[in-house]
Amino acid sequence: MTERLLVATFGGERDIVDATRAAKDAGYHIVDVYAPYAIHGLDKAMGLRPSRLPWICFGLGLTGAIAKLWYQIWTSATSWPVNVGGKPLSSVPAFVPVTFEIMVLFAGVGTVLAFFFVSRLRPGKHPKVLYERVTNDKFVLVLLQNDAAFDVSNVRALLERFHVERIEERLTEAGR
Amino acid sequence: MSIPRLPVPETSPQSRWLGPLRTVSILGALIAVVGVIAVPLRAWPNLLLAAYYLLGIGLAGAIFLAIQYVSNAGWSVAIRRVPEAMIASLPVASIAMLVLLFGIHDLYEWSHLDILAVDKILQAKRWWLNIPWFAGRMVFFLGMWLFFAFALVRLSRRQDEHDGLEYFNRAKRYSALFLVVVALSLTLASMDWIMSIEPHWYSTIFGIYNFAGLFQSGLAAIAILAIVLRRAGPLEGILTSEHLHDLGKLIVAFSTFWMYIWFSQYLLIWYSNIPEEASYLVHRQEGSWAIFTVLNVVFNWVIPFVVLLPKWTKRNEGVLLKVGIILLIGHWIDLFWMILPPFMRNGPQVGLWEIGPVAGAVAAAAYLTLRSFAKANPIPKNDPLIVESLNYHS
Repeated sequence: MTERLLVATFGGERDIVDATRAAKDAGYHIVDVYAPYAIHGLDKAMGLRPSRLPWICFGLGLTGAIAKLWYQIWTSATSWPVNVGGKPLSSVPAFVPVTFEIMVLFAGVGTVLAFFFVSRLRPGKHPKVLYERVTNDKFVLVLLQNDAAFDVSNVRALLERFHVERIEERLTEAGR
Repeated sequence: MSIPRLPVPETSPQSRWLGPLRTVSILGALIAVVGVIAVPLRAWPNLLLAAYYLLGIGLAGAIFLAIQYVSNAGWSVAIRRVPEAMIASLPVASIAMLVLLFGIHDLYEWSHLDILAVDKILQAKRWWLNIPWFAGRMVFFLGMWLFFAFALVRLSRRQDEHDGLEYFNRAKRYSALFLVVVALSLTLASMDWIMSIEPHWYSTIFGIYNFAGLFQSGLAAIAILAIVLRRAGPLEGILTSEHLHDLGKLIVAFSTFWMYIWFSQYLLIWYSNIPEEASYLVHRQEGSWAIFTVLNVVFNWVIPFVVLLPKWTKRNEGVLLKVGIILLIGHWIDLFWMILPPFMRNGPQVGLWEIGPVAGAVAAAAYLTLRSFAKANPIPKNDPLIVESLNYHS
């Protein structure tokens, strides 16, 4: 099955944010927005849900801390008990620095890997660039023409309020 | 975009708090004065705590300003008048610190010649810990902090009246120098004033530990005052949840930094377990002092860290206000835990002589800050980064 996309190009940051917000408010399905750099407030204009990465980060951190604490207690007190300076075998204060480091390692590296996974970034992935100038100085809004109610002339009128520079329709395989 | 000019009217809403705050600070000072006459051994350390607490609020304001200047931070410019106003606490706190010189014999064991005569360790430290050199250092530290802090305030106010970048750039140069100066002087000052209460004990991390607590409570004070000033009017429409979000992030970061440093000090003492070092912690873990040790960690790290971990709590003024108050109480617990144990061998006592001076210090900090805030434009007018800050997205 193919999808009909409408690709609109803009020349400025303010225009793309306002156009995105207007398209969202008008009820159009926004496929994605492309920009040469990160734009503050664009996520709100697109109506994106808050990122779930913080939860992954929290879970990984907790996992790392608990696993490392358990491992240290197991090695020092159960598997191979060693008397260090007459202190109790499972002396938790001594385990805190390593527990902390492993927590940071799990949470930090794990969150980056989770981000790559969620964003489907992997080594050797061939980038599909929608429009080359989006990597330089142009901003692109992609809308989905999902039903009969989608009227290109209406959309054009809406986007022209925000100085749209170019509008083209494309057919794309579903599941880009 | 034009920059709103919002002069504070004569009867600004926050001015009706000034009367009660002044009353509480004067009452606190009176309790401290009566205390040092009636029960000197209980009152002097608490006056030291109160003076150091008030000094910390003012100094944290200046350090915050300097960090923002040297890092060219844009987000904080809209609320910069709050830390600038906090600097008004510094002169009063400096006077309170100088008054402590009259209680030097009640506070510091090393100032007694008869104890010195039979104590080899204190004799070895005498070249540093003696009354004239101690007093001279105190005057020098306070003088330098006052000079730099008020230079930053003055340059920021002058920038209001002038176009161009001259005063902004000068403030940056002062800030860079001030950060070097304060890092060295605060380390020595905390060792002089707090660590030398127990002159046989030493900790090389003590300076940064004191900085962590000082800056953390200063950030809490900035957040509380900014929220209060938004509710009262002057920062309405200026302070947004984006600014609160960044303040919240800094509070989480410095709360964790405090915990990191606190634990670093604890771990090294616990590990080597040498009597001359460990006695400090042993005493603080015995009897009801152990409660203070636990409360210290809970108030300064556990609660702020857990509560402010999600995004929405950092952006919520009600939550941030409550966490800020918990941190200000936590800073008192932290200082009480550092200063009072040698004076209260049989466990902590908290009564009028303990609560009075510190309540006065908190009220004085609020009074001096709000009064100073009302004297200037509520936002820096001609600052090159003000527009960025007013339209800030975190």
